[in-house]
Amino acid sequence: MKNRVEFKVSGRFALFTDPLTKIGGEKCSYHIPTYEALKGIAKSAYWKPTFVWAIDRVRVMRRIRTQSKSVKPLAYGGGNSLAIYTYLADVEYQVQARFEWNPHRPDMEQDRKTEAHWNIAQRMIKKGGRQDIFLGTRECQGYVEPCVFGEGPGEYDGCGDLAYGLMFHGFDYPDETGVNELHSRFWRPVMADGVVTFPRPEECTIRRFVRKMIPKPPRSAGLAEEGLEA
Amino acid sequence: MSWIERLYQTYESNKTAIGDPGEEMPLLPICHTTQKAHVTIVIDGNGNFLRASVVPKTEARTIIPATEDSAGRTSGTTPHPLCDKLQYVAGDYARFGGEKEPCHEDYLALLKRWKDMDGGQAKLSAVFAYVSKGAVAADLVKGGVLHADATSSRLINEWPDKKSAPEIFRLLAGGYDAKGKSKPWQADAFVRWSVETPGDPQPEVWLDRGLWESWERYYGSLKSLQGLCFVTGAVADLAKQHPAKIRNDGDKAKLISSNDISGFTFRGRFADAEEACGVGFRVTQEAHSALRWLIARQGRRDGDQAVVAWAVSGVEIPDPMADSFSLLFGGPAEEVNGGGYTAQEVSLALSAKIGGYSARLAHTDDVVVMALDSATPGRMAIRYYRELTGSEFLARIENWHRGCCWRQHFGKDRIFFGAPAPRDIAETAYGTWRDGKVHIDDKIMKATVERLLPCIVDGAALPRDLVDSCVRRASSRNGIEPWGWEKTLGIACALFRYQYKERNYAMALERDRNTRDYLYGRLLALAEHMESRALYVGGEQRATNAEKLMQRFADRPYSTWLTLETGLTPYRVRLRAKRPGFLHRLETEIDEVVSVFDGDDFTSDKRLTGEFLLGYHCQREALRPVSAKEGEQEAGEVGETDTDNEE
Repeated sequence: MKNRVEFKVSGRFALFTDPLTKIGGEKCSYHIPTYEALKGIAKSAYWKPTFVWAIDRVRVMRRIRTQSKSVKPLAYGGGNSLAIYTYLADVEYQVQARFEWNPHRPDMEQDRKTEAHWNIAQRMIKKGGRQDIFLGTRECQGYVEPCVFGEGPGEYDGCGDLAYGLMFHGFDYPDETGVNELHSRFWRPVMADGVVTFPRPEECTIRRFVRKMIPKPPRSAGLAEEGLEA
Repeated sequence: MSWIERLYQTYESNKTAIGDPGEEMPLLPICHTTQKAHVTIVIDGNGNFLRASVVPKTEARTIIPATEDSAGRTSGTTPHPLCDKLQYVAGDYARFGGEKEPCHEDYLALLKRWKDMDGGQAKLSAVFAYVSKGAVAADLVKGGVLHADATSSRLINEWPDKKSAPEIFRLLAGGYDAKGKSKPWQADAFVRWSVETPGDPQPEVWLDRGLWESWERYYGSLKSLQGLCFVTGAVADLAKQHPAKIRNDGDKAKLISSNDISGFTFRGRFADAEEACGVGFRVTQEAHSALRWLIARQGRRDGDQAVVAWAVSGVEIPDPMADSFSLLFGGPAEEVNGGGYTAQEVSLALSAKIGGYSARLAHTDDVVVMALDSATPGRMAIRYYRELTGSEFLARIENWHRGCCWRQHFGKDRIFFGAPAPRDIAETAYGTWRDGKVHIDDKIMKATVERLLPCIVDGAALPRDLVDSCVRRASSRNGIEPWGWEKTLGIACALFRYQYKERNYAMALERDRNTRDYLYGRLLALAEHMESRALYVGGEQRATNAEKLMQRFADRPYSTWLTLETGLTPYRVRLRAKRPGFLHRLETEIDEVVSVFDGDDFTSDKRLTGEFLLGYHCQREALRPVSAKEGEQEAGEVGETDTDNEE
C-alpha cells in the first residue's frame, strides 16, 4: 500500500526526556528518540484526523553525544528557577513511518484517499513540514527532509546490538484507541546497527493507566463542512 | 540501559559488600543510614543491663535502621527505630537533666510496632524489654559511662579539668561555644545496643544482617502505594520519596524529586507526580544506596559536581579523571620516585596497570561513567551518562594516557611523562593568574571537565578552542609563575600532540622533522639557550629576550626572529671570548635548523601553531645537559650546571 513515507530529521539538539527526570525538572534525555516524539514529528509534517501515524523504524545516523546546559526555566507563578538540562547534541535520524486510517473516526470515511494523503505527505516533507518540527521538546528545533531509509553511511553501522532497558514508548490517547482513558506504554528497545524497530502500540505489553480522558477531536470534515459548501 | 537500572544492578551484584566494616563509607542496606555512636550498651537476652562502654571515634560509624522521615531529620523529633540518642531511648532522660523535648514515647511505639510485626527477632524483644524499664540513663551513670552530679543527679555539663576528664567528655565536651550556644554534651550521647545471648556469634545489633532484613521487611510492608515501576516494568510498591544525601552527608539534592504544586514543570498532561512517574521503593533505595557508596569510594567531587566511573560488577576500575601520575604512582602505599618518571617507566607502569585491571574486569563487564551536578540545592541533574564495556573502557583510558602524553611538570616531585587531569587542563586553558595562584570560575571548570569527559571516555576529538587556548597561554609567559608556565607548556604540548595524533610527534627532539612551526620552535629554544648562557657567564640575572618575545614570536615568527637574532650579537661576542666551544656548537645547530626550512617557509610571517611549542620543548630538553636532566631544575636556569670544558 502506498502509505509509507521516509524522511530525515536533524537538529543541533534534542531532548527526549526520561520521565524519571521530568518530574523534578532537571530534564535528562534518553539516548534514542521515543516513538511518541517521532510520531509528533510526522504529525507536524503532515496530519489529518482521518489517519494515525505509525512509526516503523528509526535509524540513528550520528554518534550519540550529550551536552548539558544550564537553563533558567520560568516558573508558572512568576520568577524562575535554575536547572541543568542534558540534551543530545547534533542529531540526525532517518525515519520510516506509515499512516493508517483511524478506525475511531467513521465520520472521516469520505476522506480515506490513500493516494491523495500520500502525495500531500511527500510534498510536505519536501517543504520541511507544515508546522514547526521539534525534537522532543519545543526548544529543540528540527528540520525534515526527504530521504531513502537506510541510504548513506551511519555512524552505528556494524556496531551490533545495544540494549536500552525499559523506556517510554508513547501514550494511548483516547481519540486513537476509542477508550476514554490515557495510558502510557513502555518497551525495551534494542538498537541493531543503529536501527531501532518499533513495535506497534498495541504490541507493547507494559502499559500504565494514567487517568480518565475525554477526546476532543477536531470535528471538521474539510470542504464537506457545513457553510463551506458553495 | 537507564542509569537507575544500572545502579540497581550494581547494588544487586555487590550485596556481599553491604555493611562491610572495613570501609569508610560502606554500602548500606536499604532503609538504613549511618550515625556516629558514642555509647554501646550491652544487655542480655531478657533485657537486663550488663555493662556499657564509650565507643572510640574510629569505630563510631554505626549502621542504623531509619525511616524516610528520621533519615532526613535535622532538629525534629522523629525517632530512629532502634539505635538513637538518649533523648529518644532513655525514659529517664528528663530526670537526669536532659533539656530537649523527650521523645521516648514515639520511640517506644515505633520499636513496639516493628517488634510485634517480626516476633522472631530476639534482639528486638530484648532491647524493647530493656528500654521499657526507662532506666537507660541511670544505668549509664551506674556503669560509669556518664557522669551525674551527686546532689542534683543532673548530668554534668562540662568537666572542670580537661586533662583528667573521663572518656565521654572527649566525644561530647559540653560547655558553650563562642556565641553562647550550648555544645553537645553527655545527654546528647548516641546509643547503640549489643545483646549477648548464649550461642549468638553476632551480639552487635548494628552488624546483624537478620535485623537489617527484618527492618527492610517491616518498612516495606508499610508501603501502600502499588503501581508500575518505570525501571523494572513490573508492578511494585512505589516509593513516595527518594533518598537524598547522595554526594555527602549534608547533601539535600535529590535526583528524582517532585514538588510540583505550582511550577507546572510537568503538569498539564498529568495531574500529579504519581501519574507522571513511579519507581519501585526497593529499586530507588538500592540504586541511591549504590550511588552514594560509589561516589564516596571512587568518585571525584568538585563543589557540586561529582564524577564517578564504576563497573556494574563492582570490580575496581581506573579513574578517568586522574592524571597519569596519580593513576600510576599516586597510590598512598607506593613510594613516589624522588625526581620524576621517564617516558619508558610511565609506559611500562601503564601497561602493567591496565593489564592488572583487565585481568580482573571481564571484557563484557559493563562500565558506567556518570557526572552529577546541581543548579539549586534541592535538585540534582545528570550531566553526563555513558555506558561501555570493560574492555572498551580500558582501551579508551589507555589510549588517552598514551596519546595525550607529554613531559609534565606539576611541581618538584611530580614530573612525569603522561596525560594531565581534566581539572588541570581547565585551569590551564581558562584560569587567570593572580598573586601567584591560578583562579578559575567554578562554572567554567565544571563545563570544561564535562567537555573533556567524552574525549577520555568516548575517544572524541578534543575541543579545538580548548587546545588553542592552552597553546596561547603557553606562548605568553608574562604574568605566570615560572613553575606554572612549565605546567602550562607541558599540558599545551600534550593536548596538541593528542589533537594531531596522525602526525606522530615523538616526545624527544626529532631532527628530521622539517615542518615550519616545529623548526621555528627549535630556533626559539636555541636562541634562549644561547642568551641565558651568556647572561650566566656574565653574572647577570634577568629574563632573556627570547622569553620576553615569545608571544610576539608566535604571532610573527620571521620578523621577531630578526629582532632576536640581532639582539644576540653582544652575547655572541661574550660567549666567543669565554665559551667558544659552546657557541660554536649552538651556532652550527642554528644554521642546521635554518637550512632545513622548506622554500619560503622561513621568510613567511604567518602565525605559528601549537606545533612550535613541541619543537621548542623538545629542543630545550635536548640542550639540557645529562646531569641536569636527572637532578631537578627550575625553569629559567636551563643549562647553568653545564660546565664548559672546552675553554
